[in-house]
Amino acid sequence: MSQPLILIIEDEASLRRFLVPTLANHDYQVLTAASGADGLAMARSHNPDLILLDLGLPDLDGGQVLESLRQWSRKPILIISARNQEQDKVRALDLGADDYLTKPFGAEELLARIRVALRHASHATLETPVLQCGALKLDLERREVAMDGTPVRLTPLEYRLLEALAQRAGKVATHAQLLNEVWGPVGAGQTHYLRIYMGTLRRKLEPDPTRPRYLLTEPSIGYRLNIEEDQ
Amino acid sequence: MALGSEAQTLRLVHTGFRMAREQGRPWVAVHVEVPSWETAAEADQARVWLREAQDLGAATAWVVETSVCDGIIEEGRRRRASQVVMGRNRPRSPWDRLEHTRTQEAIRRSLGVRIVNLPLESPAAEAAAPVWQDLLGMVVGSGTVLAMCCIFASALYVGIGFPGIPPVFALGVGYLAHRWGRACSIPATLAAVLVFDFWFQHRWLPGAAEEWSNSLDLAATLVLVQMVVFLVDRLHQETRSLRRREAETLLLMVLGRALGRCDSAREVAAVLAERLQGLFQAQAWVLVPGPEDTWRALPEAPGAPSCPRPSELLPLFSAAATRADPFEPLFMDGCSFVALAGQGGADGLLQLRLEGGGRFPQESWGLFQSVAVQGALALERVRWLEEAQQARLDTESERLRNTLLGAVSHDLRTPLAAIQGAATSLMLPEPLPEATRMDLLAMIREESERLARLLGDLLELTRLQSGAIRIQKEWQLLDEVVGSAVVHLEARQGPLPIRVELPEDLPLVPLDGALMEQVLINLLGNALRHAPDSPVDLRAWEEPAGIQLEIADRGPGIPAEFHLRVFDKFFRMPRDRKDGGVGLGLAICGAIVKIHDGSIWVEDRPGGGARFRISLPLDGLPPGPLETAPPTLTQESLP
Repeated sequence: MSQPLILIIEDEASLRRFLVPTLANHDYQVLTAASGADGLAMARSHNPDLILLDLGLPDLDGGQVLESLRQWSRKPILIISARNQEQDKVRALDLGADDYLTKPFGAEELLARIRVALRHASHATLETPVLQCGALKLDLERREVAMDGTPVRLTPLEYRLLEALAQRAGKVATHAQLLNEVWGPVGAGQTHYLRIYMGTLRRKLEPDPTRPRYLLTEPSIGYRLNIEEDQ
Repeated sequence: MALGSEAQTLRLVHTGFRMAREQGRPWVAVHVEVPSWETAAEADQARVWLREAQDLGAATAWVVETSVCDGIIEEGRRRRASQVVMGRNRPRSPWDRLEHTRTQEAIRRSLGVRIVNLPLESPAAEAAAPVWQDLLGMVVGSGTVLAMCCIFASALYVGIGFPGIPPVFALGVGYLAHRWGRACSIPATLAAVLVFDFWFQHRWLPGAAEEWSNSLDLAATLVLVQMVVFLVDRLHQETRSLRRREAETLLLMVLGRALGRCDSAREVAAVLAERLQGLFQAQAWVLVPGPEDTWRALPEAPGAPSCPRPSELLPLFSAAATRADPFEPLFMDGCSFVALAGQGGADGLLQLRLEGGGRFPQESWGLFQSVAVQGALALERVRWLEEAQQARLDTESERLRNTLLGAVSHDLRTPLAAIQGAATSLMLPEPLPEATRMDLLAMIREESERLARLLGDLLELTRLQSGAIRIQKEWQLLDEVVGSAVVHLEARQGPLPIRVELPEDLPLVPLDGALMEQVLINLLGNALRHAPDSPVDLRAWEEPAGIQLEIADRGPGIPAEFHLRVFDKFFRMPRDRKDGGVGLGLAICGAIVKIHDGSIWVEDRPGGGARFRISLPLDGLPPGPLETAPPTLTQESLP
């Protein structure tokens, strides 16, 4: 896969005009669709490696498009949405979108998100057992966590939380997803548990917990394990 | 003065007020709560009275004691009372009376004060005695009175030879009629005739009967007595109805006051339900037509009985209804209904279910109707209030729009002009030096970011103030919100001199994370802009009033006259007019803190600089302890 194929489903021409050359210039093949229906048809015929989907399409609700895509495709989907649409973003993420971008966004942010999403897709089954981000090292196989080479002791819960974040390293994880993966069905809606454990994790892993570098908060949505630290 | 919880306490309060005014002394209204006696409803009622007394200039006291007597003594000592005014129910039995006297005596002795008694008629006392007791009392009483008449008349006759036996009996029967009513007077008259016949004519004093006119006399006198009794009875009836009307007027007045304090239909319904429960021992609901031909029942307690749809039920109350009298309560499925008719016809119903089921007693229709009218007026008032508020909001948003246009036309045009200028010069055929090119590109980027921020702020503020933003309070760690805000700022501007000081044991705070992060970003951003060379301190701590947050800088500070105005929309201090802001940041902070029911203010920081303070309430129950967290955790262990 030398040149990954990206499908942009976006109704605004000016945004397409910015996206197409930017992506083409970074060695991606680009396809565009201006409506939800077109987008679905093109996704079926071309099977792109990644889809950029605007939530505010004129013909179909973004959530609907996402649902029909997810019925047959496991390929990464990035959501583009306006500010103040937190509920829609969370819904889209819980429906299976991989990450989101909030309008207006810059080219660096866009490229970084695409990189992370494609990387995840290519190692979907063979997850790297060792994750290194900055001074934080996480060995998923041996279940070890170290900061600057010194092991950090985590409680079982804290470790499971970190593991859940690491499995989506670089991508956002919603509150609901983390609660479900760490606590199971009983965790539903108990966001404050999550916050408290994030707090203790930060105290153990962050050099300055008031300025988190690894465990980032996405307000009203969830958390992100930041792996762009050294790139 | 001492308050009980009965309805007529109002009279007591007014008497206290008048006495205090006449004597030119301060007065204190005291409610003594005897825990084992008092119900919650009574306590609520007593609170209403205390407030009433407070409105009339009384100091108030709420005392909890084992007995009323002890409570009054204690409070009287504390306040050095010189007089005690007590309401006193008409005693139901001699024991009550004795008890009452003992209480008063105790108070008088321990305080050495004058006690003023005010007789009260409690509505409960009138209806209290059961029928059989009344009947027994009547029979025994009549017997005693007639026997006394006999003895007295005999004594008169034997002693001084006075033959006026009939007048004595007439007196007796008259008393009986006064005491037990007309129903009693007829049997009493017959009994008097029999006794007279038996006692005086046959057995004991046959001589008396020889004065034959006695029998005639008696008959005539008793006829007279019957007439007197009839008149007395009418007088009684009128007094009773007067008294009832007075009680009703008082009740309606109290109801009107309580309704006057309501701000919403829900509160009106709650007050009506509570009063009707007290008045008729009935559950009551206010029915307001909701969407799609359904009723909305208030108060929203479970157990409201179902009833026909508004489209079927409401026409029954219109003037064109076929019912005999559209104003009488409608009885249906065990409930009585009466229309809550405001100016625009019946726009709601009052539904009432008597505790024992059954129809509503006819003699109370009037009262029920009066309550309904008051309720309807209150509902209408609340509706007007809401409309007025809406109108005010509309004017406000209109004003905002106008200010907005003014501000926007300037503040949007400036960055746009810069972007347009930079872009066009980049497109000129003559090549620009690389440094200039990059500079122009950077300018385009910065100005577009500024535009985006401005638009975002405008949108945010409009949505906040129009109520379009639903606040989503969740129990949050302040560390996380602060961290997120700091990271956000540093991502834009690089490392910043922000010193954060948060105690580790800070409790969870109920807040909307995204909104509060916005507040912190705005406040920190302002502080950094005004004091770029000195650190900004962010601290938080817990107080009984809630969580306190402080962001303090060492900048030039804010003059005291602007301390309030800085939170106004589009307000900029004279010295900041040129710094590119639009004066929305603090307005947004104010709006966000306001929907959190908190408060935000600015003060001078000792030693120079400005200090913004936020106080957030810690309302609601904090989430349960973590030990009860999912059981699955304990089964897993780590190497």
